[in-house]
Amino acid sequence: AELKCKMKFGIYLPPKAETGKCPVLYWLSGLTCTEQNFITKAGFHQAAAEHGLIVVAPDTSPRGCNIEGEDESWDFGTGAGFYVDATEDPWKTNYRMYSYIKDELPKLINANFPTDPERMSIFGHSMGGHGALILALKNPGKYKSVSAFAPICNPMQCQWGKKALGGYLGSDVSKWEAYDATQLVKSYPDSHLDILIDQGKDDQFLSAGQLLPDNFIAACTEQKIPVVFRLQQGYDHSYFFIATFINDHIKHHAKYLNA
Amino acid sequence: VDRTTPHETEAEGLIFYHMDLYGSKDRFDIFPEELSGQGDRSRGDTRRESALSSEKFQRSQEAGYDLEREVAELAKMYGLDEDREKELELLGGHLEMVESRWPPAHREKQQGLPGEASQDEDQSKAIAEDETESHIWSREGLSSSVMSDEWNSQAVSEEEEAANVFCSTCKMPIRAFDKLFGEHKDHEVAQLPSAVESEKEEIHKNMCKLEEQIAQMENFASHLEEIFITVEENFGRQEQNFEVHYNDAVQVLAQKYEEQLEALGEEKRQKLEALYGQLVHCGEHLDTCKELTDATQELYLENDKASFMKVKSFNWLEEFLKKEVDLKLSTLPDFEERVIDFSEVEQLMNSINTIPAPCAPVINPQAPNAATGTSLRVCWGLFSDDTVECYQLCYKPVSNETRNGEQAAPSPPTIKSKKIRSCENAALVCWESRDINPVDSYMVELSKLTDEENGNIITESIVGIPNCEVLIHLQPMQTYRICVRALNLGGSSERSEPVLIHTTGTYFCLNEDTAHPLLAILDDGFTIACDELENPECDLPVYDNSFTRCIGILGSLIPFPGKHYWEVEAEEDTEYRIGVAFENTPRHGYLGANNSSWCMRHIITPSRHKYEFLHSGMTPDIRITIPPRRIGILLDYENCRLSFFNAEIAQHLYTFTLHFQHYVHPCFALETPGILQIHTGIAIPPWTALP
Repeated sequence: AELKCKMKFGIYLPPKAETGKCPVLYWLSGLTCTEQNFITKAGFHQAAAEHGLIVVAPDTSPRGCNIEGEDESWDFGTGAGFYVDATEDPWKTNYRMYSYIKDELPKLINANFPTDPERMSIFGHSMGGHGALILALKNPGKYKSVSAFAPICNPMQCQWGKKALGGYLGSDVSKWEAYDATQLVKSYPDSHLDILIDQGKDDQFLSAGQLLPDNFIAACTEQKIPVVFRLQQGYDHSYFFIATFINDHIKHHAKYLNA
Repeated sequence: VDRTTPHETEAEGLIFYHMDLYGSKDRFDIFPEELSGQGDRSRGDTRRESALSSEKFQRSQEAGYDLEREVAELAKMYGLDEDREKELELLGGHLEMVESRWPPAHREKQQGLPGEASQDEDQSKAIAEDETESHIWSREGLSSSVMSDEWNSQAVSEEEEAANVFCSTCKMPIRAFDKLFGEHKDHEVAQLPSAVESEKEEIHKNMCKLEEQIAQMENFASHLEEIFITVEENFGRQEQNFEVHYNDAVQVLAQKYEEQLEALGEEKRQKLEALYGQLVHCGEHLDTCKELTDATQELYLENDKASFMKVKSFNWLEEFLKKEVDLKLSTLPDFEERVIDFSEVEQLMNSINTIPAPCAPVINPQAPNAATGTSLRVCWGLFSDDTVECYQLCYKPVSNETRNGEQAAPSPPTIKSKKIRSCENAALVCWESRDINPVDSYMVELSKLTDEENGNIITESIVGIPNCEVLIHLQPMQTYRICVRALNLGGSSERSEPVLIHTTGTYFCLNEDTAHPLLAILDDGFTIACDELENPECDLPVYDNSFTRCIGILGSLIPFPGKHYWEVEAEEDTEYRIGVAFENTPRHGYLGANNSSWCMRHIITPSRHKYEFLHSGMTPDIRITIPPRRIGILLDYENCRLSFFNAEIAQHLYTFTLHFQHYVHPCFALETPGILQIHTGIAIPPWTALP
């Protein structure tokens, strides 16, 4: 309903879901990804099974809406929804990924699967990491925990973010702040949100200034938002990086979801 | 028609044979028996011969051909004999008789047959023999008895030329034709090959049974052998037993005999002595009497009246006569009645058939944990293989007073309460004894405090502790009162002053011997402080075991697996290293710089708080946005991890995953002047379960 098109998502049900309700952990993928990347590459299943977590991996943007220019570039339009509710034409009808992830998808999941609606967490990679952070920071208490792999921490300051936010929200930079994790932290009420971030030290997008985790950490330090940020030597932006540390993230969420 | 049965070889068989076969059930029943009779036996022989001869040939095709031919010849010979008889039978006048008795349908069938019969028969015979031959090949290894068994079934099918159906009601092969029209009309039938198969299966089953029986018999035989040996052993033992006992009995008897004989002799000697004494006495008396008689006679003849009267001898004569003469026998000639006591022998004899008395058992020395305040576990062993019905346990209390002369009981030891280490499942208690009396062992008494009034009930004692230290297994989340007694031959001491142990979380103490000279331990024993990094005076005492470079100290953690948790409180601007280290971690190095220590380091850089998680000098690159003021450290031997937490917000900071080869101890070091406050005895928070 939000996106006015057919959306796919991947879902993993742990063995525990056969007998009882389980918490849901939402995964938001990065640029160019579909719902398939995470479920095929991340290797999260064993940990999720062990801790009894349902894992839901939605697509990254509306597809097949025939909007002019949606397939022109890989970092805007299809596969690059940026988890915002677009306000600009021609995107504002379909590109409402923020509301889709926040409301519609959980409603659908809770209605169709053995979930505990009170317990949900969110994490993601790159653009999805940005999505996870803004969803958690914009909705205090909605998510029990949040974590991210190489998130785009400060989209207002990077090329990807400027292109996407400008395209979807218009040129008014103040509107962008509502979708910028580093900005959101500054207005985040004092709440126990434990944030875990893993970042590959050899990530080409880190050195290209697309991710800007330092800005986010500085803001969190200032606002006393607990973050553990781990700079992992020898890792890049790939799914190998994700697969290596996915267990730590699953445990991080399980700690709060199963508390 | 069916001319191939052995009946034909008998004279009666010629007469009304067909009719018998098809008409009379009685005859039919004995059929299988007769099969295995005379005719069959001869055949079995030839068969065996062929089997033997077949062994001589190699399994080449040629040989196979030779064998085939030989068998075929045998078959032909046999078949010819039969044929001749058949012809006789057919040519004889019986045919008409037979035919006249057959229903028309049968007659037609029969009329067609005689001409071809002999030829067909030969052919089918050869085929049958081929089958037999192939059978020999496959079953060559089998015993002859089995072969002849096989032969029986084979023989049936062989002789039934053209028989291709098996009547399971009559247990014989028949021709399909008979099923339709003969007496087998209503019988249950099966195809011949399948019948043969089932028959073979049956035979195979029987063989299996036989094999089973063989195995059983073998088992039984070995069992018998065992029993044989056992019987020999048992009887040998009993023989020895008898010999010993009978020897004993004979000895006892001989001894008795000696004793009795001696006693008898003694009695005899006494009696004889007595009699002799009497005899002597008697003689003396006689002499006296004679003397008196003579004297009296002299006196009597004395003429001098005066002198006669003077002699007063009358008096003593009278006196003498007054004495009675003892004529009684002092002893009787018969001997004393003696009861011969056979009771001992009887007992000996009776005991022969009973089991010999066992050797004395040996009581084991008292084991640790073998006694409580009110009970004692005594164990003993028996060395020989005596049979024992029951044991009798004797004991008596040994009071202190009785032994006081030998050795004085020790005075109570003193528990080092500051050195007690504990965790949720165990406690390590040590004590000292300043006694001049020797102490053999110590006994620890512990009571679990549930209510105040139950405090003095000893719930458990650990005895036989040789050292001044014991590791006690306890239950989590309880409070225990623990006392120690010293023991020696003189008895046990009074109880020591009790100490209380709480099994909530892990308690450890700081090992002052390891402290760097600049590190001060405050009075509470759990706060370490450092005022200055350099000391102008270099005369600070340095112990052998103390850190020399790093201003650090080790804790003394209980060496017990499981989970241990403690917390360290630090000011935000204090630089420190905290973690765990092996007891022998180098004292001249920094904690975390080597492979025998793991620690979290906090340093303040101009820009930020920096946290390192060091082992062998390596650290991951981790940024923490909130400087933890209270650091939780979870040492989990079971899951091979050492985790650090911001205990105030339950935030996981870092986890070392490692397999500890030895037990480790907590370690603490200050890198700037400041204070570290160590908190122990904290229940493991649930949020530490997952990083």
